[in-house]
Amino acid sequence: MKIKEKIAQGITYNMSFIFTTPAVLWQILFLYIPLLLVVYASFYRGVGATWYDWTCEHYLSLFTRDYFMIIGRSVMVAFGVALLCLFLAYPIAYFLALKVGRRWKNLLLFLLTLPFWTNFLIQVYSWVFVLDHNGLINTILLRVGLIKEPLHMVNSTKAIFLVMVHYYLPFMIMPLYSVLEKIQKDVLEASMDLGATHWQTFRRITIPLSLSGIKTGFFLVFVPAFGEFVIPSLIGGAKYMFVGSLVSHYFLVARDSQLGSAFTLLSGFILLLCALTFNWVCDTLYKTSAAKRDQ
Amino acid sequence: MRNIFLKNIIKSYNNDLILDHLSLEIPSGTFFALLGPSGSGKTTLLRLIAGLEQVDEGIIFLGDEDITYTPIYKRRVNTVFQNYALFPHMDVFDNVAYSLVIRGVASEIIEEKVTKTLKTVHLEKHIYKSINNLSGGQKQRVALARAIINEPDVLLLDEPLAALDLKLREKMLLELIELQSELKTTFVYVTHDQFEALTVADHMAIMNHDGEIEQVGTPKEIYEFPVSTFVAKFVGSTNIFKGKLKIASDFCRIDFASLGEFDVVAPKDKEWACDGNQVYMSLRPEKIEITKVPMAGFSNMLKGVVRSIVYHGRSTQYNVQLQNNQVIQVFEQNEEHFPQEVIDYDDQVFLYWQKENVVLLEK
Repeated sequence: MKIKEKIAQGITYNMSFIFTTPAVLWQILFLYIPLLLVVYASFYRGVGATWYDWTCEHYLSLFTRDYFMIIGRSVMVAFGVALLCLFLAYPIAYFLALKVGRRWKNLLLFLLTLPFWTNFLIQVYSWVFVLDHNGLINTILLRVGLIKEPLHMVNSTKAIFLVMVHYYLPFMIMPLYSVLEKIQKDVLEASMDLGATHWQTFRRITIPLSLSGIKTGFFLVFVPAFGEFVIPSLIGGAKYMFVGSLVSHYFLVARDSQLGSAFTLLSGFILLLCALTFNWVCDTLYKTSAAKRDQ
Repeated sequence: MRNIFLKNIIKSYNNDLILDHLSLEIPSGTFFALLGPSGSGKTTLLRLIAGLEQVDEGIIFLGDEDITYTPIYKRRVNTVFQNYALFPHMDVFDNVAYSLVIRGVASEIIEEKVTKTLKTVHLEKHIYKSINNLSGGQKQRVALARAIINEPDVLLLDEPLAALDLKLREKMLLELIELQSELKTTFVYVTHDQFEALTVADHMAIMNHDGEIEQVGTPKEIYEFPVSTFVAKFVGSTNIFKGKLKIASDFCRIDFASLGEFDVVAPKDKEWACDGNQVYMSLRPEKIEITKVPMAGFSNMLKGVVRSIVYHGRSTQYNVQLQNNQVIQVFEQNEEHFPQEVIDYDDQVFLYWQKENVVLLEK
């Protein structure tokens, strides 16, 4: 009896360990080890050299204007997409969380997730049919007679931007919705009651209370948009180089994994810097009471 | 004087009529309680005064100023919300300072006023604490401080003590009374708890299930002289009897067919108080004398059998079954440790009361 109990106890005690092990192993095997390999490759001299023949020349060769133009372009586009998504998503999330009744809410949330039921490539590629020379928009506009020549829309940065915003918007709406939904209505009412206008209430109560959602949404969009290579190559026609397209080029086409690894890590480092900066800006704009006291 | 004056207020939600032609005057500088059962529309009334809701029809005056359509942030009215509604991302200081910060008051003045206000509510020690580290009572005080710092003309309190335990509630009630007499602000206190309302209010209004105001008056008037069986039953406990009025030149009696006739004092200036009319009689349980031996000097007497006894501490409640099987409540103060007469289950008892101590009601 006692032994049985002890075994049972031991099992419960070790349960958490048993259940977390697969996830940790998975992470180690398929994330941390490959990452270390990438780091190693970025310092490895190249095919034919001994394994300990380390060098920084791959990194040094990256410090040219062209590479930084590519990284800069990726940062700009990712930042622009994230910002536009934020401005578009906030009203939608606000409306969903605070204005819509319970019955409609579920339906609208379902509609929001509907794009995820479609294959990503199909989603992106269908935009080509919309934007193409003899695509949907041009056909309609020509028929109506608003334009005489088909508009040139595909293969442009604008098109890349548009498709990226379209694809990443739900990733911004979801975290915003989940924080806005937790805001209690009477807190907003209390603010108005104490003399704040709608705008003051929004600025001083709603935004600070949804800040964590803003950050999460921003990173959920910014990070993958920075490394995106499918949308630029399908919509942009590989006309513009982005970080993602260059990385895939090095590994898949040029087969230069050393330079590719170095570039991956450099752009990753810059991505991290951008994220930290954004986080810092958010926290500075909306200081908590405690942070203010510490000054 | 800035009395609140509501006239012919109509308000409905989703075709559900909450307030129907309600009129009420709340005198300036009083502690006014709005007492009513859940769903009587008392919170709606409060939200209309605050500006959180718009009337469908009707006028609201604050003093001689029509505030019916004044936006909420311009009204000199502040609210203490039921669940406190404190700003979770701010500490005590910032919560209390909020309305001043919004108005762009200079920071030295803010500092001074916040400190002073927090002293009034006995929170000066917790000035920089996070809201999440406060107890329920402390949160309540922050909500109170936040609402009074701007010296509003009217302070609205929406069941503010509902979430506190009994002891703390009693303490907060006394503090609220003190605060009100110090500030001289009109307090409008919404509650469904008659004990709270009777404790704090100078004046009170009783609302019924249909969102109508049944009676307005001082707590004593309401308790001793209710105008309807609803008020009599809702405020305190009472025994209601239904009977026929018999009025002659030399006597006034009420006839309960199954129990006999009882002396009452004829109500003055009531058109329904005439011979042969159906009326109700409200007899409060504490106004009845219960005994096992006959006594003299009372105008009315009933006999009954004790069916159950509930010991309340300061008083004991006897549920006595009368001859017509109606069960009525009787309260007796527990004045002595060793009473001479012990009343037990199934005892035959006499119930005595004076005719002056009952109230006759039309409905």
